Amino acid sequence: MDLQFTPEELAFRSEIRQWVAGNLPKDISHKVLNALRLSRDDMQRWHKFLGAKGWLGYHWPTQFGGPGWTAVQKHLFEEECALAGAPRIMPFGPVMVAPVIMAFGTPEQHQRFLPGIASGEVWWSQGYSEPGAGSDLASLKTRAVRTITPAGNQFIVNGQKTWTTMGQYGEWIFCLVRTGTEGKPQAGISFLLIDMKSPGITVRPIITMDGEHEVNEVFFDNVLVPADNLIGEENKGWTYAKFLLSHERTGIADVNRSKRELERVKRIAKAEGVYDDPRFRDQVALLEVDIVALEMMVLRVLSAEKSGRQSLDVAGLLKIRGSEIQQRFSELMMLAAGPATLPYQHEAMEAGWQGDFAGAAVCAPLAGTYFNMRKTTIYGGSNEVQRNIVSQTVLGA
Amino acid sequence: MDFDFTDDQVSLRDAVAKWVDKGFDFSRRHALAKAGGQTRAVYTELAELGLTGLAVPEAHGGLGFGAIEAMVVMEELGRGLVNAPYAAAALVVPALLSAAPAAVQAAWLPKIASAEVLVVPALQERAARYRLNHVTTTATQGATGGAAGWTLRGQKIVVPAADEADAFIVPARIDGPVDSTAHIGLFLVEKGAAGTQVSGYPTQDGARAGELTLDGAAATLITDDGFALLAQAVDVGIAAACAEGVGAMDRMVAITVDYMNTRKQFGTTLATFQALRHRIADVKMAQELGRSMSYFASLKLGEPAAQRRRALSQAKVQLGQSMRYVGQQCTQIHGGIGVTDEYVSSHYFKRLTMLEMAYGDTLHHLGEVSDRMQDTAGVFA
Repeated sequence: MDLQFTPEELAFRSEIRQWVAGNLPKDISHKVLNALRLSRDDMQRWHKFLGAKGWLGYHWPTQFGGPGWTAVQKHLFEEECALAGAPRIMPFGPVMVAPVIMAFGTPEQHQRFLPGIASGEVWWSQGYSEPGAGSDLASLKTRAVRTITPAGNQFIVNGQKTWTTMGQYGEWIFCLVRTGTEGKPQAGISFLLIDMKSPGITVRPIITMDGEHEVNEVFFDNVLVPADNLIGEENKGWTYAKFLLSHERTGIADVNRSKRELERVKRIAKAEGVYDDPRFRDQVALLEVDIVALEMMVLRVLSAEKSGRQSLDVAGLLKIRGSEIQQRFSELMMLAAGPATLPYQHEAMEAGWQGDFAGAAVCAPLAGTYFNMRKTTIYGGSNEVQRNIVSQTVLGA
Repeated sequence: MDFDFTDDQVSLRDAVAKWVDKGFDFSRRHALAKAGGQTRAVYTELAELGLTGLAVPEAHGGLGFGAIEAMVVMEELGRGLVNAPYAAAALVVPALLSAAPAAVQAAWLPKIASAEVLVVPALQERAARYRLNHVTTTATQGATGGAAGWTLRGQKIVVPAADEADAFIVPARIDGPVDSTAHIGLFLVEKGAAGTQVSGYPTQDGARAGELTLDGAAATLITDDGFALLAQAVDVGIAAACAEGVGAMDRMVAITVDYMNTRKQFGTTLATFQALRHRIADVKMAQELGRSMSYFASLKLGEPAAQRRRALSQAKVQLGQSMRYVGQQCTQIHGGIGVTDEYVSSHYFKRLTMLEMAYGDTLHHLGEVSDRMQDTAGVFA
């Protein structure tokens, strides 16, 4: 048992650190480090830099053009990117759909879809949740009916997806659709890739309580989708979706980002004069302990993957704890600044905004971030669903 | 970075677990507690397993093992709820003696390793709470017993196994104001020394402790500048308490899971009720965060003082919270049987409660973390 990275891992880390320092545009990291609004271009510029380096698909095996990194290397890469203030990699393409295409897609689908994901050219969205299917995802109703048209074998898709993150920029969307009604709800679901420029698709914004446009509703009205866009077998989509969920083991904890945000909590607390108030400072200290404990749990998972000698089934715990911590740092930032976070200035969230700040510049995004972070214990399987899953592991049934 | 145990460490764990299974079942613990909490016989059995020499250097007849081996043993003793002053006498005391003059080490360490003598730390004073620098016990040189002799005056409280011990390691102030970290000496005091008085009593968890009153007691000097060493030895104690807590939590959770899967109410097992399922999921969270930070504590023991101190307090904050939560919730999940003396889980609860207070409670260590806060934090900070 030891807490040291190997010399190779340390060399790897410094290689990543140098590359990020040399390639992450300052205007982008400035926004990330100060929680200012990121544009589509900001996010895609970073994606394309990574894509050109071959690191956007940093989870990918070498046979698909990925770097073939170990679990520890992936973790170090995520950490260096997060601490430097890189935008979060939009996971929908490289992290979520690509592994499903690799595992269950045809060679033609590999060639057709993976290059655009690896380069960051194509913006992918996720079509899972529906108005009537949130935590109970398997109850989804969006229908896909197979039909023969002059253009070939196609699906006609009708229905609605929701909570589509950054769907306003989406060019392609991977969807769970209902193709069968026999048997259990999970049995009749298929995994379909849909071009968002298809006629019959409408994207409508959902404005969240922070005033931001981050999520969307996506409507499908007789949308024709070539049958070639079906991944794997019809009615086996639930299996692929579960594969997707199990693929990412530690990223969901987002501990590297929380480490960065803890530093920001301290900066804000200092600027607002509460860092030396023991009552406030102890709360920050408690969060610091929470983050170290979460990081240790993440490292235990990485070590178990590396050695193969232990099985550590703690994905649900990582999601619960990681999301609680994200809410907590946003809460402490807001409480640190107190009344200075109360003015609402939508335009002050733009980098380089030249107007007057009603509060202090540093305080403008704080309440918004706090409101925004309520999502973390709801998305990706609500924390209550995660507790159900954890309890199954603990109780054996 | 590696959190696997070596084959030797696994064998060590198995050996301790085997002894616990055969030699220390709940009825024995219960009987010992009822009889007043004397556990010297248990300590002798641990010596027969070779465990009392674990942290003593090989040159002095010990095994010279490290922090991870100590952690493994503590986890198993915690799991078995073993009543014995093991962490104090076999782990903390050798750390305190690591800076003693060669002659003192040669005279005491071999007998400590073999458990021929039981030496315990007497670190706490009334009103000091957990502050190691708050030392009112005084040490004077040359007052009695010749120019070189030291004598101590003061009182130490809740000294583990005090009336079963043969000697004590005692911090005493040589000079300076009462809260100064300078001029704190560490001394060895034998129980039979004139001016030494011990009053023993049982503790809440069925073990034993006592007050040590020193009224001109003759003492052997270990070091005249002992604060840093004291802090280091207490960190050894913290890591041990964390590991013991992990073992105790593991067992208490396992007992509770069994109970949930068998106890029926409203015609079905407790395990079917979502309110209790979510509760056990939260217990699992506390348990795994606790285990993670117990590893962290033992792995950080060898770091330079500043990093070590910060890390050990971070660990104790997590373990303090985890132990309290697991203890309280597992008691609650059991219902009425959980609050009875005859049922094993209440004994785990009491031990976990005491461990939270061992070597500084959650609030104390939160203050330590707060005082040591840096701009960056994390496992490698």
